[in-house]
Amino acid sequence: MKELLKVENLTVYYGYVSALQKVSILVNEGEIITLIGGNGAGKTTTLMSISNLVEKAEGRITFKGQDITNMAPDKIVKLGISHVPEGRKIFPQLTVYENLIAGTFGRPGMSKDRVQQLMEQSFALFPRLKERTKQAGGSLSGGEQQMLAIARGLMMEPALIMLDEPSLGLAPIIVEEIFDLILRIRETGTTVLLIEQNASMALSIADRGYVLETGHMTLTGTGKELSVNEDVKKAYLGA
Amino acid sequence: MEYFLNQLVNGLCQGAIYALMAIGYSVIVGVVGMVTFAYGEIMMIGAFGAYYVFQFVGINLPIALLAAFASSFLLGIIVYKLCYERFFNAPRHISLLCTIGFSMLIKNLVQIVFGPETKPVLNIIDNRTFNIPLGGAISIDLKLLQIVVMILVVVLAVTLTLFFNRTRAGVALRAVSQNKDAAYLMGINVKRTAMLGNCIGCGFGGIAGILLAIYYYSISTTTWGGFSMKAFAASVLGGLVDLRMSALGGLCIGIVENLGITISSATFRDVFAFGFLIIMLVLRPQGFASKKGNRV
Repeated sequence: MKELLKVENLTVYYGYVSALQKVSILVNEGEIITLIGGNGAGKTTTLMSISNLVEKAEGRITFKGQDITNMAPDKIVKLGISHVPEGRKIFPQLTVYENLIAGTFGRPGMSKDRVQQLMEQSFALFPRLKERTKQAGGSLSGGEQQMLAIARGLMMEPALIMLDEPSLGLAPIIVEEIFDLILRIRETGTTVLLIEQNASMALSIADRGYVLETGHMTLTGTGKELSVNEDVKKAYLGA
Repeated sequence: MEYFLNQLVNGLCQGAIYALMAIGYSVIVGVVGMVTFAYGEIMMIGAFGAYYVFQFVGINLPIALLAAFASSFLLGIIVYKLCYERFFNAPRHISLLCTIGFSMLIKNLVQIVFGPETKPVLNIIDNRTFNIPLGGAISIDLKLLQIVVMILVVVLAVTLTLFFNRTRAGVALRAVSQNKDAAYLMGINVKRTAMLGNCIGCGFGGIAGILLAIYYYSISTTTWGGFSMKAFAASVLGGLVDLRMSALGGLCIGIVENLGITISSATFRDVFAFGFLIIMLVLRPQGFASKKGNRV
């Protein structure tokens, strides 16, 4: 398997508080990788560091063999890393259609036909968005906004999509839809890095997982191994 | 009654120019995310750019408008580099103070370079007046200048709206104005886009500047602070970032101050403008804009 993203010894401080201590992650092409851990474990910070939206104290991040540690955030996106942030962050006053167009800014040369094709693909994945193309993003329900955020993240045809808590605050039935969708995204050849508090769901679809605890990497293994691990069970699966 | 109606027309016309100022101001605040107090001087530089076209090229309104837009646009780059770019993560008052300092610098530089005296701007548009009867004995006088100004403002506002809604660059600008972090994650070069937005806003200010100069038949180097405050006021009335509502705010201020001086004297112009602002803010602190339909 070819390695796609490699994070080595990543250390991040917020002021004097250490958020991450020497965290290393490896993501291979075509995998679904999940980061699990409680509140404040450093999951979101890890993704923010990969997108270079927070300052790193130490560490090296490479993507497709290229060093992206200190690259400008918009350039990292243009290399093919799509980051769907926590809390969705869709553009509330842009219409659904415009939100999706905004998703293609990471691929400046994309032809109009291709944009249209991708748009049709998103509508096939999320039929509900199609009914609402002209509606302002901010007027959608929480679940629809999450779908829009993921669809927007897929518009740039990324090599890697990083999803930050896609199930946060959603009804159980929609959470299942979203996990189904993640499997479908992988089938199209896109690698997935998934952050979840819903650890059992995440581990059930992940190839491999990493467990973060207050900024330290404590465990790693395949999804199955972790879901039967006693410590993980006790801490995150509620068994 | 006729005097009253003519003042209403005056107010509409002046309000149209204020609307243009307010639109430019709101674009800046919306896209950059910080207020500016150098806007008056930005308008002044636009007015001077056009003035020197009138001097050296001749009376050619389209070229003069382009020159106004271009000179303010270029000044916008400097303002952005000096006052905003390095302060995005700093407390907001720092860039605000920078713009105040920058405005003083420009105001005084202009007086040194172009001279402190007020310069006449005459005969740009034929001094023709149309008398439009409204039935009975009542009629209103409509100057060609007023017609040109109002048509120009409408055309510019429509052009800007189309640009924001129909082009990719326009969508990128709106995305940056709504959420900078998310815009980064879309692969938008946020700093360059913010600079473009700042410059477009400044360019509109420049055009408003030369329209004011044509309207008052003169360019002074010292009165622009007041116009800057009116642009700010109109923009606040519209909720700071809503272009349409800001334009409405500008129009209202123009009408209110011109109707106000019909019942008093022209020296009270600003009293009515800012009195209106204060009353409106007491009644509707959020401005004209309604915040409906936003779940966050």
